[in-house]
Amino acid sequence: MRLNAATVQNWLLPIATLVAWEALGRAGILPRYLSSPSAILAALWELAETGELFVALAASLYRVAVGFTVGTVAGIIVGLGAGLLPGVRHFFDPLVAFLYAIPKVAFLPIFLLLFGLGHASKISIIAFSGFFPVFIASRHAVLAVNKLLVWSARNMGAPPPTIFFRVVVPAAAPQLFAGIRIGLAHAFVVLFAAELIGSKAGLGTIISYGEEWVRFDLMFAGIVCFAVLGFLGDRILLAIRARVLKGQMIGTEEQEAQAL
Amino acid sequence: MSVHTPSPALAQTLAQTLTQAWSLATRWYSIPLLLLVWQLAVGSGLVESRLLPSPVRVWDALVTDLGDGTLLYHAGVTVYRALTGFVLAAIIGVPFAAAMARSTLIRNLFEPIFFFGYPVPKIALFPVFTYIFGVGTPSKIAFTFLECLYPIVVTCYFGFRGVQTRLIWSAQNCGADRATVLRRVILPAALPSIFSGLRIALPVAIIVVVITEMIGDSIGLGYYITIWSTRFTFANVYAAIIVIGICGLALDQAMLLARHRLVYWQREAV
Repeated sequence: MRLNAATVQNWLLPIATLVAWEALGRAGILPRYLSSPSAILAALWELAETGELFVALAASLYRVAVGFTVGTVAGIIVGLGAGLLPGVRHFFDPLVAFLYAIPKVAFLPIFLLLFGLGHASKISIIAFSGFFPVFIASRHAVLAVNKLLVWSARNMGAPPPTIFFRVVVPAAAPQLFAGIRIGLAHAFVVLFAAELIGSKAGLGTIISYGEEWVRFDLMFAGIVCFAVLGFLGDRILLAIRARVLKGQMIGTEEQEAQAL
Repeated sequence: MSVHTPSPALAQTLAQTLTQAWSLATRWYSIPLLLLVWQLAVGSGLVESRLLPSPVRVWDALVTDLGDGTLLYHAGVTVYRALTGFVLAAIIGVPFAAAMARSTLIRNLFEPIFFFGYPVPKIALFPVFTYIFGVGTPSKIAFTFLECLYPIVVTCYFGFRGVQTRLIWSAQNCGADRATVLRRVILPAALPSIFSGLRIALPVAIIVVVITEMIGDSIGLGYYITIWSTRFTFANVYAAIIVIGICGLALDQAMLLARHRLVYWQREAV
């Protein structure tokens, strides 16, 4: 990293905010609920030492990983099916059109009662909310595949499975990833709400514990972990996408955004 | 020939109507089918009806609480919060995105905040918002503002940057001053992107308001859902979910209508 004017400007606001936050915190000007960055780091260390942090991280990570995977796989399969087969499309379209407008978190009390306060309720509602964006993206992507590509492949004697895996899926992949990325963002939102509203473990629980016991440093430690987890999840997804879509993103706005 | 023979024209219209009805039925059969299966499953005692009340009971709850205005009141609160946060984010976000696209200094200062902050689940910050703004409406509006600001700024930023320079040059060549270029060239060229940003942000606003109301409040649809689920009266929970869906659908349609009116030169396939 070269230290030119642009780099300095890039880092200016985040670092200035942290420094001002710390300084004002030490001077005692900030209200108590805004723990200073050093206190948050200390709280993170404390949580790491007792091992609580890793237990909570593991619980949250497990829920989001399983729920997101289940929802994404289901969304891709049903979405591709809906794109290819009018029968499947006509069955799912009205249901999705109706359910898509509803924040899936609204179903949370029902899921909590059905599956309890443990992992199952979080995993199922994350899967449920992740299904929709992925379904819509894959359904539209398949329908938007250039017919000429399919016809050319057929003309050269490719059997339907080959056409599906070598033509339709690669052509639909960019849109699929867009849907999956939205699904991942939803997954973290739902995870947070689910853990805060009804849970016995996880990062959300650390946050609400910190609030209850007026340990704002603990609350912020949980918030920081949650934010980092969501950010890393998105970056991993983007890295996977860059691998899978090699050559399909050159010169696009997204590539530009990703380069940042 | 008797007069009772239907004329060919009438027969054709009838056939057309039948075909239309059939295609409508094949397109929309799944919702009534699902409602029927639901009703039968509950009616036969296969599913415990306390958890999954029959559609008829949900309908009753919906009609009752819409009738006495309870649901309308809570829906009004939720929509008011969502729209206020959303409109504030639009008013501030769109000009800000334009400034980011125009000025290198502003871009360098804020780009990292928006692009690295974008994938961060900002919902985790909500507890802090409740301390700063209190548990009621202000913290919900402030938080909705933050959540809507990100998609609006990021999408509009790309929209403003994507405005072709030759359009601006042509306008300048024709003697247009800065204000005219902004109003007549840049803004119309970026308008489709502005609308896609707004359309991403609008459902986010509703989701966020409902979640934050579920976490802690005494009014709003999120509160309504929480309170009735703690009373194990799930018919009302489903009724509220339906109302949320209708609000979301209505707002999205309004957004599409506005886009249709304002971006009349470029239609979007819905």
